[in-house]
Amino acid sequence: MTDRPVLEREVTVQSELGLHARPAASFAALSNRFQSEIWVSRGSDEEWVNGKSVLSLLSLAAAQGTRLRIRAEGEDAREALEALEDLIRESRETRETGTDA
Amino acid sequence: MKIMDILVKDAVLMDLESRTKHEALAEMAGALSRQEAGLEAGRLLEVLLEREKLQSTGIGEGVAIPHGRMPGLGRLVATFARSREGVDFESIDGQATHLFFLLVVPEHSGGQHLKALARISRFFRDAAFRERLLSSEQLEDVCRAIEEEDAKF
Repeated sequence: MTDRPVLEREVTVQSELGLHARPAASFAALSNRFQSEIWVSRGSDEEWVNGKSVLSLLSLAAAQGTRLRIRAEGEDAREALEALEDLIRESRETRETGTDA
Repeated sequence: MKIMDILVKDAVLMDLESRTKHEALAEMAGALSRQEAGLEAGRLLEVLLEREKLQSTGIGEGVAIPHGRMPGLGRLVATFARSREGVDFESIDGQATHLFFLLVVPEHSGGQHLKALARISRFFRDAAFRERLLSSEQLEDVCRAIEEEDAKF
């Protein structure tokens, strides 16, 4: 029925404080820039949540070291995944450098 | 962690009077500090405003989760507030905020903090739950709604 690309990749949460409110908001904001649907799941968990919703992302309770799967479905799936992976990779703030939460 | 274990029931505000972000935070901080010995309203408000400066905790879908760390606090505490008219909370989706869950955590509680945020977010991401809180007449209805969610996982 649909032939739009569906791509998936796994990333590890780097931030010492995990995917707390601010990184979740950044993730959702970035996701919303793409047409693709964005879904996120914890490691082997089968539950996929909407990557464009901060509430959904926060509900993952993704602490530092948590492996997340990101799935993008749509024409710009590849670009979306690359941007989101970069975001997770770059968010390495620590208690010392970042004002927390 | 159950939300009902950290919710300070007597600090819940079923009808926020405030219409601005600053006033709404002050109203909630005042209500919580009156019930919680050791939480000083002015200091709590400062902490919450500092956090809001970084980015609004109005995270969309009519929901805000203002939060902050308070040195000296012995445990996580939370309260809930509702505004029927809505508050301009500078939310990330630009919509008015009606449901507020205020979370205050001790200085060193990284994991607990994330878990509490996750749990309340799981409740709030459900449109039926949000609707139930919006239409609750009494504090007891709000508590029952939260208890039922708490019992699910």
